[in-house]
Amino acid sequence: MPDMIALSHPASGHPQQRQFNPYSENGGTILAISGADFSVIAGDTRQSEGYSIQTRYAPKVFRLTDKAVLAVNGFAADGNMFVKQVRQRLEWYRHAHAKDMPLRAIARLIQTMLYARRFFPYYVYNILGGIEEDGSGAVYSFDPVGSYERESCRAAGAAQSLVQPFLDNQIYFKNQVPQPGHPHPKHLPLTTVIQLVIDSFTSATERHIEVGDGLEMFVVLAKGSPLYGLENIDGVQEMTATNDGERLFVVRRNLKRD
Amino acid sequence: METSFAITGKDYIIVAADTTAARSIVKMKTDDDKIKVVSPHLLMSYSGEPGDTIQFSEFVERNLRLFHIRNNYSLRPSAAASWIRRSLAQSLRSRKPYSVNLMLSGYDVTTDTPHLFWIDYLGTMTEVPFGAHGYGSYFALSLLDRYHNPEATLEEGIETLKRCIDEVAKRLIVSPGKYIVKVVDKDGTRVIEI
Amino acid sequence: MNSLANRFSTTGPINELRRAKSVLEDDEFTDSAWGSEAGFGSLAKGVPNFTVPSVPDPSAFLRLHTDDYADPSCRIKIQHGTTTLAFRFQGGVIVAVDSRATAGSYVASGTVKKVIEINPYLLGTMAGGAADCQYWETYLGIHCRLHELRNHERISVSAASKYLSNLVYSYKGMGLSMGTMICGWDKTGPAVFYVDSDGTRLKGDIFSVGSGSTFAYGVLDQGYRWDLTDEEAQELGRRSIYAAGHRDAFSGNTCNLYHVKEDGWKFIGNYDISKLHYDGPGETPGAGYGYDVRVERSAAIAVQA
Repeated sequence: MPDMIALSHPASGHPQQRQFNPYSENGGTILAISGADFSVIAGDTRQSEGYSIQTRYAPKVFRLTDKAVLAVNGFAADGNMFVKQVRQRLEWYRHAHAKDMPLRAIARLIQTMLYARRFFPYYVYNILGGIEEDGSGAVYSFDPVGSYERESCRAAGAAQSLVQPFLDNQIYFKNQVPQPGHPHPKHLPLTTVIQLVIDSFTSATERHIEVGDGLEMFVVLAKGSPLYGLENIDGVQEMTATNDGERLFVVRRNLKRD
Repeated sequence: METSFAITGKDYIIVAADTTAARSIVKMKTDDDKIKVVSPHLLMSYSGEPGDTIQFSEFVERNLRLFHIRNNYSLRPSAAASWIRRSLAQSLRSRKPYSVNLMLSGYDVTTDTPHLFWIDYLGTMTEVPFGAHGYGSYFALSLLDRYHNPEATLEEGIETLKRCIDEVAKRLIVSPGKYIVKVVDKDGTRVIEI
Repeated sequence: MNSLANRFSTTGPINELRRAKSVLEDDEFTDSAWGSEAGFGSLAKGVPNFTVPSVPDPSAFLRLHTDDYADPSCRIKIQHGTTTLAFRFQGGVIVAVDSRATAGSYVASGTVKKVIEINPYLLGTMAGGAADCQYWETYLGIHCRLHELRNHERISVSAASKYLSNLVYSYKGMGLSMGTMICGWDKTGPAVFYVDSDGTRLKGDIFSVGSGSTFAYGVLDQGYRWDLTDEEAQELGRRSIYAAGHRDAFSGNTCNLYHVKEDGWKFIGNYDISKLHYDGPGETPGAGYGYDVRVERSAAIAVQA
């Protein structure tokens, strides 16, 4: 057939395909634990790609309101973009309703925002911590496309599989048998929780190459709650911005930088 | 392992389809009716991609019903078959085609003749004295070449259908369990027990 | 929708009336009705809209990055692995599920709520993509409520399940993954419908979905009768989920049990599957479902006799 055009590929001779890959993985770990009237949300500050450390200070934990803190882990570019969009939606809400969005509503908002990208997902694992309208501490964890669940403790990211079993044992008392007449406590005190978080991150730093450099830990206290000795903790800084009653603190620590 | 048969006789058509709805290795349902009564003298058996089968057969059912409401008479079997075939052919050239295989069995009350149309998801249509879809067709077609009698009475037709069902039960590794059997003739459509 | 309605209109005035009516329809509100849209997520306009990557085949793109079955090393792991069951009997509907979510071989959570409470008389179960089920069954709940407000009548289980089935069918081939049972009680009595992301919708008495469904069926089919008492039925649901949790590595942790009756659903309880193995649902040590536990128990009884 002389009038047919042969479609041949020059040079290589065989067809080439270019793949669209808009995702990367930037390491790090995040963690949140809730108590009776407080919530602790923490994350390390190392950002890496493969074996290279891109920066030793890239925050992964963000204040949304005085009673809501969002930790974002996975692909940093998606994470930063996502936090930016959540904050914008919360600001719109503030302008429309003259109050901060309640925590459970923020959780549902995050679900719909993540699910809106069901066919082009944000590669991010979110953990939302804070205080509910009834004054209880709460943690919500999300998968990249928006399924979520309220829990009292959750670790995500590179060292998830190192930290979560430790938390299961120390927070939920999994595989521990209580002494007769001394049942496991339902909620742990804030000081114990802070120590557990610090220990989790120092241990994760020891055993995981993508975790380290710095620890940023946010503490949200419910309306009218005492400080529980938080004021005595080294380098604590208050971040409260409104007079709603909830108080927000941040504690920064160094982790090993090797 | 979906299987369906249809056999014309002197003044009727018998249609049989297995009643299992499976998902991977599990039978989710064993009394699923895959033969739709699409107008008073028209039966449509369907099989193929889950989801598409229901959506397409309901689409056909409603359109034939709409025609009946608008015109106060139903499409004759050959007209209905042509319309259905064209719908499938148009769908095949769309972004998301329906993967549905059909057999349309109708009794034409104007000429008092039974008509059977075999249609596949590609829009192939042919009028046949008997037809089959699915794995069962590999056994049934040769059997029907040997035993089918276009002048048979209903009882003889049912006997031939039973031969098909028995043969498939005997030879097909995962044979369908129960069948639903429907008949269309001058009196309309009905389910029969075999 | 309007174009469809116009197609069937014949005269001018009727057409005008239709247009006027459609303006008044409550789901066609404008953005300003919602202030700044703040807090309504992708549902702000009543119809969700989705971002799709600008590639020739969006579903292949999604599969490349999310499908952990095809590629275990892919980045976005969607939670899989489940056992869920629901069955109809004389006393209503029993719904029982496990609570494990796995990402690859990691147990991502042991406390997942796989029964989605659509409203006080409708339940949905979750198998496949956790987010797909949670999101669309919540969305279904919104539309069931709108149906009530428009028609002053509760939606039937059949209609609700068909709404969901048509909805997921419209996304067929885009990569949604869900296998769900919509359970409830309506004018026709107790009802269970199986709906999945290929668009299948089946009415039936007994369904089980998920990686552990075969194990659940094994116990469920053998123990099932229509005239089971409420207690027997609840026990059967619990025992079947235990069986799946025991034999299927992707199922386990705890069992959540619900019972739907004429006046709506009731949460019966949460049962630790390990505890069911040794002690059963009660507080009696040695009364467990486990094979060894059961055999030793009957051996002990034989010795006593």
